[in-house]
Amino acid sequence: MGLVLVSHSEQLVDGLRAIVAQFGGSDVPVAVAGGTDDGRIGTTAPRIQAAIRSVLDGGAEGALVLLDFGSALLSLEVALEWLDPADRARVRVSDAPLVEGAFLAGVQASTGASLDDVAEAARGWQSLPKLPEA
Amino acid sequence: MAELQLTVIDPAGLHARPAAKLVKVASRFQSRIVLRSGERTVDVKSLIALLGLTVRPLAEITLTADGPDADDALAALVQELGAAVAPSSDGAAVALPPDGAAVHP
Repeated sequence: MGLVLVSHSEQLVDGLRAIVAQFGGSDVPVAVAGGTDDGRIGTTAPRIQAAIRSVLDGGAEGALVLLDFGSALLSLEVALEWLDPADRARVRVSDAPLVEGAFLAGVQASTGASLDDVAEAARGWQSLPKLPEA
Repeated sequence: MAELQLTVIDPAGLHARPAAKLVKVASRFQSRIVLRSGERTVDVKSLIALLGLTVRPLAEITLTADGPDADDALAALVQELGAAVAPSSDGAAVALPPDGAAVHP
């Protein structure tokens, strides 16, 4: 089970990958797609597709995609259309917030959990207030 | 069934890093493992549940494992927690380590 992290910023997902490696360990494949080919803020379908491919081709059972906002989803949808149906079936898109979702999913994936379980773990943050005693 | 009572002595409480380690270790075992803190009991294999507990320094926690590998599971969890916890003994005071004893990057 691997993760694909999609953001408008390459630095953001590079940093997030380091967080996932710290908490989840280095056994969880993580690919990132951040920014554009010329280093601007944005998202592109080819970069997202390449990141998904690298996780699937690396032998992971499946890939959970976490993304930031806005056009990230539009670019992702195009990238998903380019996958053949067998590969598309191994990819799930998470509704979780990018940073928290990646942290939860990374730890869950490190336990050898299935794609469904990892996706479920990522969604968990929606039930956790950041200020529990507020 | 095996049970252990511990006091959290890590000055940061049971924060993200030890919580993530607990989930990874607990997931290696078949037993059902729960952590009780105050009134609440959560599944130690669930990171979001552990984080939701917000276990503070000096909190008393109870780890309970139920299953064929319960004893091994608790031993592995305590080993993983290391210096973040101390065994609870009846009424004995447990002191936090001095400031700066633990570093949380």
